[in-house]
Amino acid sequence: MAEAKTAVEVVRYTVENGVAWIRLNRPETMNAVNGALRRALADSVKQADRDEAVKVVVVTGEGRAFCAGADVREFQSREGALEGIQQDYEFLLSRLWSMAKPTIAAMNGVAAGIGASLALVCDLRYAVPQASFVEAFVKIGLTVDGGATWLLPRLLGSAKALELFYTGDPLNAAEAERLGVVNRVVEPERLEPTVRELAERLAAGPSHALGAIKRSVGYAMNATLEESMEFEFHLQGVQMRRVDFKEGVAAFLEKRQPRFQGGGSGPPA
Amino acid sequence: MIPVMEYENVLVDLDGPVGVVTLNRPRVLNALSPVLVGELNDALGRLDADPEVRAAVLTGGPRVFAAGADIGDMSERSPVEQLQRDQTGRWGPVAAFTKPLIAAVNGYALGGGCELALMCDLIVAGDSARFGQPEINLGIIPGAGGTQRWPRTVGKYVAMEVNLGGAPITAQRAYQLGLVNKVVPAEVTIEVARGIAHQLAAKAPVALRLAKESVNRALETSLQEGLAVERKNFYFLFATEDQKEGMRAFLEKRKAQFAGR
Repeated sequence: MAEAKTAVEVVRYTVENGVAWIRLNRPETMNAVNGALRRALADSVKQADRDEAVKVVVVTGEGRAFCAGADVREFQSREGALEGIQQDYEFLLSRLWSMAKPTIAAMNGVAAGIGASLALVCDLRYAVPQASFVEAFVKIGLTVDGGATWLLPRLLGSAKALELFYTGDPLNAAEAERLGVVNRVVEPERLEPTVRELAERLAAGPSHALGAIKRSVGYAMNATLEESMEFEFHLQGVQMRRVDFKEGVAAFLEKRQPRFQGGGSGPPA
Repeated sequence: MIPVMEYENVLVDLDGPVGVVTLNRPRVLNALSPVLVGELNDALGRLDADPEVRAAVLTGGPRVFAAGADIGDMSERSPVEQLQRDQTGRWGPVAAFTKPLIAAVNGYALGGGCELALMCDLIVAGDSARFGQPEINLGIIPGAGGTQRWPRTVGKYVAMEVNLGGAPITAQRAYQLGLVNKVVPAEVTIEVARGIAHQLAAKAPVALRLAKESVNRALETSLQEGLAVERKNFYFLFATEDQKEGMRAFLEKRKAQFAGR
C-alpha cells in the first residue's frame, strides 16, 4: 500500500506575523477532501481559533486547484459514512464561520463542492482569474451540501444561486467578482502577496474590534434590527473599556498612527 | 443589612439592592454537589429575608453556568441512598425565592445546571451559552424539574427532543423558543443581568412579588382560578403605600420612590 500522507502533511499549517496559513496539500488530487484532509482541516482550524497569537486565518491550496471537492474515490462508500462526514463538515465550516477572527480564502484555482463551501464560508475571497466555483452535485444525481445552500444565496441572491445549483455550471472568477462573491481577482503571482499584505494589515489591527465586528454580523444574520443594535451596543461597551480604544483615540487626537495591542478575542482584562 | 456571607462553593456580592450569587467551583464546571446546593439555598434564603435586597442575579461566572451534578459522587448510589439524600428535592428555596431572580448564563447549563436556570424568573444568555438535559445519556432522566419546566416553557415537542435526545441547544435557539429573554455577548452577560435586576429593584417590591406569584400560578392552575388569584392580588395591592405613591407620582409626572410597604 502506498504510504498515505499523514494528517500533518495533507495540510500545511504555519503561523507568520499573526496570520495562520492553512494550505490544503494534496496537489496530486487537486486537494480533493478525503477523511485525512477533513480531519487535518478541522484540527488546523481549531488550532488557529484557540491560538491567541493568531489574529487572522488564510485558507489556500497547493498546486493548481484550491480544492476539487470530496475525493471521488471515497464516494462509493459515502452512503455509509455520510453522518460522520456531515459532522466533520459541520464542525469545520461552523468553526470558520463563528470564530471571532477574520478568515480569508486565497483561491489559487477551482473550488468545487465542499471546496467551494470552504471558500464561501470565509469572510473574504481573493482569487486568480483561472479560479472558479463549481457546485456540480446535480451532475452525479446529488443535492447540494456543505452549507452551500445557506452560504451562496446570501452572497449573490437565490436566483443566481439556484441557477448554479440546477445547472452545475461553473461560476468564473470575473463573474464572481462582479457579483460580489469574490472581493478581488488578482494575477496568480500577485495572489499570495496581496492576501499576505491584507492579512498582516488586519493582524496588526485592533483584533478584539475585528472579532466583535464578525460576531455582530453573525448575530445579525439571525436577528431583527433592534436586536442587532442592542448586541452591537453591548460589544461597543466592551470595546470602549479596552486599551486599543484608548490608544486609537489618543493616536487620532495626536494625529499619528495607532499602535494596537490586539490580544485574542476574549473579554477585556 | 445581613452580614457578608462566607461560603466555600458560592460567592455572594451585594450591589445595592441587588444580590449577586455566583456558583464558584470553576475547576469542576460548577458541578452541583450537595454542599454547593446547600450553600446556594442558604444564600438565597438570606437574600430573600433581607428587606434591603429587592432582586437577585444567579450566575456561574464568565465561562460556565453549571454542567450538572457530581456524577462521580452519584454513580454507585442505591435508590434508598438517593432518596435519603434527596439531592434533587432540595431545590425548594431556589424555586420559592419571592423576589425577581435572574439567571446570567454563559457556557454550559446542563442537567441540574439547566434545571437551576429554569427555576429563575428571567434568563440572560451569553452568545456561547448552551442549554440541555443530557441525563438520558447516562441512563437516567432529569430529577430537578427538567421534564416539567421544559414543556411548560417551550411546549411538548421541544421538551421531548431535549429530554429524550440529550443534545444541548444554542443560546439563539433558546431565545427563539422563548426560554431565554436576551442573547448578549458573553462578556456582558452578568452586567446585563445586573442591569435588569437594578431596573426591577426600583419597582414596588410587593407588586413584584405578587406579579411573580401570579405568573407562576398560571403554570399550575386553571385559567379561572388563575384569574381569581390575579384579581385578589390586584385588589390587595391597593392596600399598599407603594400603590398610593406609584399613582401619585404618575399623576405628578415624577419618578416614584417605592418603600416596599
